[in-house]
Amino acid sequence: MLLVSSKLANEKVTVDDSSPESTARIQVVFDKGKLVRAEPTTAVFFLGGG
Amino acid sequence: MNFVHNRRLLFAATILLLLVCAGQGTSKQTPKKQGRLNSQEQKVINYLVADWGEDYSVTSVDIAMAALKMKQSDETRFRIASHIKAHPELHEIIRRWGWVTLVLTPDEKLIARTLINAERDGKPQPTVAEIAKAVGVTEAQADRGLSMLERYEILQRAASKGAGYKVVPRYIKWEPRLDFIFHKVSLDSGRQFNTN
Repeated sequence: MLLVSSKLANEKVTVDDSSPESTARIQVVFDKGKLVRAEPTTAVFFLGGG
Repeated sequence: MNFVHNRRLLFAATILLLLVCAGQGTSKQTPKKQGRLNSQEQKVINYLVADWGEDYSVTSVDIAMAALKMKQSDETRFRIASHIKAHPELHEIIRRWGWVTLVLTPDEKLIARTLINAERDGKPQPTVAEIAKAVGVTEAQADRGLSMLERYEILQRAASKGAGYKVVPRYIKWEPRLDFIFHKVSLDSGRQFNTN
């Protein structure tokens, strides 16, 4: 989520996504670059890269 | 004299026959012509071509229609999608990520994945009710999605248990294309787009 931490770093961003291995929907919300909510709460979120 | 005349007639008839045969052959090879897009549909194409690639955008037709305040319609989306499918020269994004990810809605992608995952894992084909439950839509919506996937030639009718469709082999293994993946980004400003 390069965009969330760079170009969109001052925005509230909602990302609707899904698990690539199943059909479960995932929604994550970032505010000013920080993760503020993830649904379902069991979603695993990897911060950073490399 | 008569002999020469008859030979000319025979020659002309042969040429005519060859032309007719050639014409039939050509018409069989020509892909089915799609009607021209109307001005509203063309606006969607223009919107997408300008949007694709910006902020890693792989924005889909439904999002473009919403941005242009067009009424969502499967038929309109299908016409625009068919145009995108037939014209990869429109944008590098179509060639790089494939037309599928640009034309399917998130629901259609998830519906396709329920069938693909089952087929890939050697499990029985899910029923419409099971697909609806897995994707979180009504059975009517699941049915509509299956019909659209058939129109896009991603699914084929099959005399099997389950929903009655099978996945066209090309789509069983769809990586590295994005086909059935979506990452829909919504900003407070109202802008929406898909990223890769």
